[in-house]
Amino acid sequence: MKYRIIHETRFAYAVPVRFARCNLRLKPIIWSGQTLVEHSLATIPSGEFSFGRADASLANVTRLVIPEAVTDLRIVSHATVDVDRAIPDVRADDPDLATVARLARESRDVSAASPANYLFPSPRIELDPAIADYCAQSLDPSRGSLEAAIDLACRIQRDFEFNTDVTRTETPPSEAFAKRGGVCQDFAQIMISGLRSAGLPAAYVSGYLRTIPPPGQARLVGADATHAWVLLWCGPDRGWVGVDPTNGIWMAGDHIVTAIGRDYSEIAPIDGIFLGSGARTMKVSVDVEPLHEIVPAHN
Amino acid sequence: MASPAPDLPAFSGAAWLDAYGAQVANGDVVRETTNRAMWAAMADEVAVASGGDLNQARARIQRQADEIGTGFRMPGDSDERKWPLSPIPLMIDAREWAGIADAIKQRATLMEVLLEDIYGAQRLMGSGLLPAALLNGSPHFLRPMVGLQPPDGHQLHFYAADIGRGPNGEWRVLADHTRTPTGAGYALENRLAVSRVLPGLQARLNIERLAPFFADVRAGIAASSRRADPRIALLTPGRFNQSYAEQAHLARYLGMLLVEGEDLAVHDDHLYLRTIEGMKRVDALWRRIDPRLIDPLAFDSRSRIGVPGLIDAMGAGNVVIANSPGAGVLESPAFAAFMPRLSMRLTGEDLRMPNIATWWCGQDGERAKVIDGLDTMLMSPAFPTEPRGLPDGPMIGGDLDPDARAALLADLDKRGIDYVGQELVRLSTLPTVGPDGLEPRPFLLRVFAARDAQGQWSVMPGGFARIGEHLDVRAALMGEGAFSADVCIVSNKPVSPVTLMSAAEKVTIRRNPGTLPSRVADNLFWLGRYLERAEAVLGLVRAGIGGSIDVDGGAPLADDTVGRLGGLLVASGAAANRARTRDADIIALARAAMDDAKETSSVRSILRNARAIGDGSRERLATDVWRLLDAPFPTRESIATRAAQLHERFAALAGLSAENMGRTAGWRFLDLGRRIERAITVCRLLRALGSDASSADDLSALLELSNSAIGYRQRYPTGLAPIAVRDLIALDTSNPRSLAFQVEAIAGHLAALPRLSDDGMAEEQQQLANALAAQLATLSAVTLDDHAVQGLDNRLLAISDAIANRFFLRGGEPLRAQGLTLA
Repeated sequence: MKYRIIHETRFAYAVPVRFARCNLRLKPIIWSGQTLVEHSLATIPSGEFSFGRADASLANVTRLVIPEAVTDLRIVSHATVDVDRAIPDVRADDPDLATVARLARESRDVSAASPANYLFPSPRIELDPAIADYCAQSLDPSRGSLEAAIDLACRIQRDFEFNTDVTRTETPPSEAFAKRGGVCQDFAQIMISGLRSAGLPAAYVSGYLRTIPPPGQARLVGADATHAWVLLWCGPDRGWVGVDPTNGIWMAGDHIVTAIGRDYSEIAPIDGIFLGSGARTMKVSVDVEPLHEIVPAHN
Repeated sequence: MASPAPDLPAFSGAAWLDAYGAQVANGDVVRETTNRAMWAAMADEVAVASGGDLNQARARIQRQADEIGTGFRMPGDSDERKWPLSPIPLMIDAREWAGIADAIKQRATLMEVLLEDIYGAQRLMGSGLLPAALLNGSPHFLRPMVGLQPPDGHQLHFYAADIGRGPNGEWRVLADHTRTPTGAGYALENRLAVSRVLPGLQARLNIERLAPFFADVRAGIAASSRRADPRIALLTPGRFNQSYAEQAHLARYLGMLLVEGEDLAVHDDHLYLRTIEGMKRVDALWRRIDPRLIDPLAFDSRSRIGVPGLIDAMGAGNVVIANSPGAGVLESPAFAAFMPRLSMRLTGEDLRMPNIATWWCGQDGERAKVIDGLDTMLMSPAFPTEPRGLPDGPMIGGDLDPDARAALLADLDKRGIDYVGQELVRLSTLPTVGPDGLEPRPFLLRVFAARDAQGQWSVMPGGFARIGEHLDVRAALMGEGAFSADVCIVSNKPVSPVTLMSAAEKVTIRRNPGTLPSRVADNLFWLGRYLERAEAVLGLVRAGIGGSIDVDGGAPLADDTVGRLGGLLVASGAAANRARTRDADIIALARAAMDDAKETSSVRSILRNARAIGDGSRERLATDVWRLLDAPFPTRESIATRAAQLHERFAALAGLSAENMGRTAGWRFLDLGRRIERAITVCRLLRALGSDASSADDLSALLELSNSAIGYRQRYPTGLAPIAVRDLIALDTSNPRSLAFQVEAIAGHLAALPRLSDDGMAEEQQQLANALAAQLATLSAVTLDDHAVQGLDNRLLAISDAIANRFFLRGGEPLRAQGLTLA
């Protein structure tokens, strides 16, 4: 399935800000099950783009400098991504969790894709005893890794309420856990915290979900903005397997990966600095459309 | 061995040492020394210097340490905590020291090789010598630095290690400091204090000096820069950092600029300092801020203290950062488990000083060993983050209660990667002063190494000894130590005196002390304004209480005049809250204006602000100035007495800056602040007390408050006339307290300060000051009414704004465009 994605971010400032410099992580990476067909970035007013320095994460980083003073800044990312990813099958010979943990901590791979990179607490995801104990019920060391992953994702989806009012971007997972609710970022962070507490390598994914569901299916939660979910490394043969605890499903054909990191702080779509002060508003709109399908005309 | 010299008094130090030697157990540095003579000589010196009274010695050394400013701040705490200094230095014989220094050089070299690989080819992990998780476990492993070559090829410029001496005299490395090694400044300050209290020590013994090491530090960083005469700055997180005092001291001692992130900017991959002369290139930074905060574009975008683009400038080869960001990855205790093998593989030889025996529980075999020997193991976090099984930090396994033990074992099973088991190290003791003479206490020694101008490691001959509070010699239980001691390396050869000054023929004569950062200019300007403002409020307080209570038999001021003084106190913000209460007579207003910390412009509040500002530029202030700023606000005596005390303190501050500060740009900004504030004060006094309708009491108070009473009597012996008073206070340029005199001084300072362009044109602040001076020259006291004075007041404020626009940091603080809120 080919998707066309339009991701627009609009910043408005009360007083002009000068010399904005940002890191953009908007260009989707190439990842198993998806290829990037086309990508372009545009800003209003126009800015200077350059390649960003090698980052801490699996992300395409573009450096943006807006030299002039602005009160209104729009950053638009257009991407066409071809996704061909099947729902993983749970097999009897999947490595068990104890094996996964051992292989990860013995890994000789230092790259950003190494399971060793995802074993530890990270700036936004602390290891919390309450989360650890909750997740541990799904994570018996002798259990197959894929079976455990989807079981935990489904439990989190069942036990937590999707609610945009109870958390903010900065809310730590322990707080979202105590409130038993939050948004996809909170669901993903809780699951990652629990997996890491069990010594397992778990990564944070930022990306998109298709906006309009196939006919006859329910619209998925998180489709009108950027989405976040979880990767668990399941040994060298199965590799990184994705689960979406917000929806209680596998990462498959409707998920488009933009970037992968230890947590959100490494792969925020836009971060940076500028000179100036004053109130700011930010609006984000995301549109993900299947390309080859003819959208049925409305009657 | 050594007997006391015959001319010494009876209380010779040898007696102390004998008594001490009789009580200490095995593993004491005096009991087992091979050089008893050096200990005896030191003890004799302590005896002579203290008149045979150890408590006296302790009190004197502490007083010296306080004077020098040894102290450090707890984060967020505005008070400084003193690190008490023991009067008994740790003496180490040069032969023993040679082995220590050699081992430290070897370890520093090994550390550099490790960092080169970790941030370069990464062969150690690929070949299985180091598990990748060992890097990932540390928050100081900075992946963006991988593949980025430091401009001079060195990751590490400054290294420190904590070493401990065991009961059998063997030394061990207990911790490595590669990120931002601190403590060298404390070592320096301890030495200064000891040499003041024990002035004869150097004559009795050949003690290695610390100055050559610091010369090496500076030369090493300079040599790594591209330009021949590089500008080097010490990058501090600011005065709220706990080791700010140490940083300020080091910067002053090394002659480096002390800068904060907002002083710096990167343009086109070059680093610049914002100064009063515009942007100036910076070649190297001695970094004291956490590397994760050093560049919001490279690491943590939430950092407000970093320099955006700094890592790009480093990557382009244009700035050296010592130490390179990411060097802190080696500080994880888990590394110690691999060091013996790494040393063998990378350098072909064993560690010359072993580190504490360590087993990383991320390896199954090692974890099993640790669990087996848990009772006698020190269990520690493997990385800087605190794992679930050790909520109270490192613990000896045998000391854990059953619940804690079970919790630790459970987490070890899941996350063994977070733990190390370590041997229990026992420490030697050294003598300290207790209530009944010398007492043994365990100690740790921090040693320092820096690259010299040739890039070779140079080890500071001395260090920073930290001493445990109790006699328990288990290293794990000593913590950070309760107090510190100087460390003297005793050579058998005479030591030649060296200071940081290079040989005379190499010195380029320079009368301008260098570039003044805009932030410092800003601070000094406001320090001047606040001190002057406090003085003005204090003057009103004194006039107010003097005028209502007949303290010295003189006639009290008329009620109207007293009312106007009260009005000035209220309008200045010194007693604004008090004025809204029922109890608002002049005494109540004066008390509030003096003491009330909630009034924004009370003397107390202004002094608090002045102290905070002075604290931010301490390396630019004379020690005496700082001491006066830092002195506690008087609270005990009557308000009149305290006002008089403060009056003297202000006079001393003004005198120190007038007489003792070099006529640098910094002094000009301090004086500019004073002059502008004083000119504004004159305007406000004139409006309240100098109109044609003003009474004799008004005019007399006006003359007192503007310190012009004597000048008036000399000129006009007949009596008080409003026009004459106004002329003297506003327009007479021969009166050093007049408005016109201040404006001339302001114009003079502005003419002497640097201009941005060399076109000979006056800048805005100069034009404004010159125009005001010209206007004052043409004014007549006859027409100087309220409206005219208000106009002058406004023009002074415009000059102040123009100075700020031209010289200080403008444009607001950098803010962050936060990442997107997720669905």
